[in-house]
Amino acid sequence: MSATAPTLTTSVGTRAMDFLRRYGIVVVFVALLVVLTATLPQFRTAENLRNILQQNAVIGIIACAMTFAIISGGFDLSVGAGAALASVVGARLMIEAGIPLGIAGALFAGLALGLLNGFLIAYAGVNPFVATLGTATVVRGLIYVSTNATPFFGVPMSFTVVGLGRTGPLPNATWIFLAVTLTLAFVLHQTRFGHYVYAIGGNIVAAAEMGIDVRRVKLAVYALVGASAAVSGIILTGQTASGQPQAALNYELAAITAVIVGGASLGGGRGGMAGTILGVFLLGLVSNALNLYGVSAFWQPVATGTILVLAVGVDSYSRRSVFAWR
Amino acid sequence: MMHAEVFAEADKREGLPSTLRARHISKRFGGVVALDDVSIDVAAGQITGLVGDNGAGKSTLIRILSAVLDPDSGTVELDGAPVHFTSPAEARAAGIETVYQDLALAGNMPVWANIYLGRELLRGLKPLNVLDKRRMAVEAEAMLSRFSRTMPPIDAPTSQLSGGQRQAIAIARAAAWGSKVIIMDEPTAALGPAETRAVEEVIAGLRDRGFAVLIISHNLEQVFRLVDRVWVLRRGRMIGDRWLATSTPEEIVGMITGATAVVRGQGGAG
Repeated sequence: MSATAPTLTTSVGTRAMDFLRRYGIVVVFVALLVVLTATLPQFRTAENLRNILQQNAVIGIIACAMTFAIISGGFDLSVGAGAALASVVGARLMIEAGIPLGIAGALFAGLALGLLNGFLIAYAGVNPFVATLGTATVVRGLIYVSTNATPFFGVPMSFTVVGLGRTGPLPNATWIFLAVTLTLAFVLHQTRFGHYVYAIGGNIVAAAEMGIDVRRVKLAVYALVGASAAVSGIILTGQTASGQPQAALNYELAAITAVIVGGASLGGGRGGMAGTILGVFLLGLVSNALNLYGVSAFWQPVATGTILVLAVGVDSYSRRSVFAWR
Repeated sequence: MMHAEVFAEADKREGLPSTLRARHISKRFGGVVALDDVSIDVAAGQITGLVGDNGAGKSTLIRILSAVLDPDSGTVELDGAPVHFTSPAEARAAGIETVYQDLALAGNMPVWANIYLGRELLRGLKPLNVLDKRRMAVEAEAMLSRFSRTMPPIDAPTSQLSGGQRQAIAIARAAAWGSKVIIMDEPTAALGPAETRAVEEVIAGLRDRGFAVLIISHNLEQVFRLVDRVWVLRRGRMIGDRWLATSTPEEIVGMITGATAVVRGQGGAG
């Protein structure tokens, strides 16, 4: 330990920043929770808490998958379009061919979009921003063309059990979110694939030199994001029993915000599932609070955007001096 | 040219097993001759130096030895048998490890993860097997302690360590996997004096353990401190080799710059 002195004795300011980056989210989250509980009687009702869980399941699933993309050094702007695609394809197939085929079709559509993104980024070398913005625009356009940009109904009402039903104390959407979260947390933190996601985000040249197939890892990351967006799209279909071409607009921004707020870095190599979950619910609490205080819904994007810029700002500032794992 | 005879004579003289040998290597890039009929021996239990001016062909030669590049002609032998590697991974699998100048460390990951990068230990049954983090940490610490006296914290991200510690980790990783030959390109170029000494100790430790070590160095003082036998390249040609116990810096500088006429080999010295 003795010889590590030079780089470990960072300035007090840097240390404070480092602490803030690692645990700031927890502090802010708890503080917000306390303030809301103390000042808003309607906040602490079981009904409201269930609402928060229910409303954030869809974005939460996308954010958990987005964590992989961001740690690997990229991101995915097509998750909103992917969820809408899954919703529309799934709803159409449920109407025509039944629920099981609808679910399978929705998952397949999301996976296909993810594989396309992964191919463009990993093998064709297209920058993630351009690749996923491009596919998002194309997919959203195709959805509008094929549906005339109007929602269509006829999905069996029984399917709303997925979006609106409840099992035990929790909404079904929350159970699905929980299952996805636990699975993805396991994959990210315990498996070799998750380990490689950190490695290529930290130093892609080193990863390649040590024999890791970095392109295959990237392809798998975007496939996973696409499939997860499809799961969210299926839940959206279950909330309205319809195909919604406009579904999940701007969800990519909310998901990326949650992941960055949760301690990940847009430079890659850093982040974690626990942080992302906290980030999701921090945004969820803010949105819920705005609601309960009677603030217009139009202020919602203002809040999300501000939080995103703040989080990225803190990250870039602290990254100047110290890299940390997670 | 009587390379073959000269080298056969040299091998008999030294009586040491030549772990890695290259014979009559030539390499052109377009119209530029990078290496012209170059031969070199890298023997086990020795530190072999490779020196020469910028553009003399040192990097090209080690890239051929580590199979990053294919030679246009010539052969590479490992333990007396000719080898034809088609990728650096194959060379590594056969026991030839290269420590790159960028060290190939992921700064965001802990020391143990870097030592096991690409060779992770897993536990459990196939589809559900998980990383065995504890075992990797314990064994990485053991590996590191074999090669380096200063132990960085095994859980620290390598970006938080000093340049010397990072170099030691990269070298320990190269030495840890049953390798025979370790090739290093300017291992101390970016380090201060104290760190340079620490890394030189690590490199000397490799020799004592019987590795065949090849280092490129621009620092002649270091060459004389560390290296047993040095090979001098000038403009793509192997000018000659010297045992440093019986040579002088002036002689080596003369060979590098071409100021002194050179007679190949060094007679019965060494």
